[in-house]
Amino acid sequence: MDCGYVCEHINRYLDAEMGYLEVAELQSHLSFCPECAAELVQTGEVRGALAAWGRLEVVPPPGFAERTIAAVRLEPAPSEPRPFGRVVSEVLDRLDETLGRVPLPGGRTIPVKNVIGAGIAAAAAVIIQLERRARRTRELRPL
Amino acid sequence: MTASNAHRWAALPDPSAVDLARAIAGDAEAFRLIVERYQGMVYSVAYNVLCNPSDAEDAAQEAFLRCYRKLPQYRSEASFGTWLFRVSLSAAIDYQRRERRRPEPVEAPEIADVATPALGDGITTSMLVEALGDLPDDYRVPTVLRDIYGLPYQEIAELTRRPIGTVKVMVHRGRSSLRLRLRRDCMAASPAAEARSDRPSAGGRGGDA
Repeated sequence: MDCGYVCEHINRYLDAEMGYLEVAELQSHLSFCPECAAELVQTGEVRGALAAWGRLEVVPPPGFAERTIAAVRLEPAPSEPRPFGRVVSEVLDRLDETLGRVPLPGGRTIPVKNVIGAGIAAAAAVIIQLERRARRTRELRPL
Repeated sequence: MTASNAHRWAALPDPSAVDLARAIAGDAEAFRLIVERYQGMVYSVAYNVLCNPSDAEDAAQEAFLRCYRKLPQYRSEASFGTWLFRVSLSAAIDYQRRERRRPEPVEAPEIADVATPALGDGITTSMLVEALGDLPDDYRVPTVLRDIYGLPYQEIAELTRRPIGTVKVMVHRGRSSLRLRLRRDCMAASPAAEARSDRPSAGGRGGDA
């Protein structure tokens, strides 16, 4: 095991995702490599700091609760039937969550529902064009 | 909220069934109790994901609105705090995905009940907040979910809608960037910290997940 391997796999060690033999090899490497050992200690310190930070509570800005309640007052009661637009939006959101996203070149992704929507729009455009052409053919047909 | 990051939020009492019923019926004052009790948790989650006070406020408000709309779906199998924590995380991640961050200087936020919080190893809150704020979103969000909230990689992959391998790489890069940045900041802040950070460890540390 060399320094490059340790550097690449140090997180698997910290996340306890290494097998017993690999852990033994890594610990053997750490015992004679101060650079890798220091990197491990520092990464552990960063994780410790993040965990300690997560236990603190960030104070919301003044008036946050009031502004939130004012926004809640504009909402219909959760028990009331929801407006049609919101139902459609929720169905689309759920569809998005269920179907996931399509990867694009460059690491970007788009929701599957957008691809389906584009497909439906394209199919509708083709059907309309075919229908127009059929109508024109009927109109031009000699009596 | 996992056991590894057990929190005082986990100890907050759930809203009573009567208050929940009143809120579901549209009583905003009953919902106010929920907002006042959990605003620290919801805002902290949004702040840690977005690292920007304005965006965090918008995302936290959206989280409470989602909570209000979804109240009829809440089942008391999980504690209310745990349920709301998930709603808040999801709202903050969706906000991050949807909105571009507004450029804003990152400042250490105010922390509840603690005058000068220490994070250990010479790392101060302002150092950490600044370092987190400067991380690219793609690295910061998975790192925050993993190391602040202790979520499993599989769950992070589902929340961020990325393959689990990609998430692991991003956490690795996030931790490495934070390590280099914080080491530099600590060295600049204190020569003693420099000496400590260079000290090698004989046995390393075991995993803790």
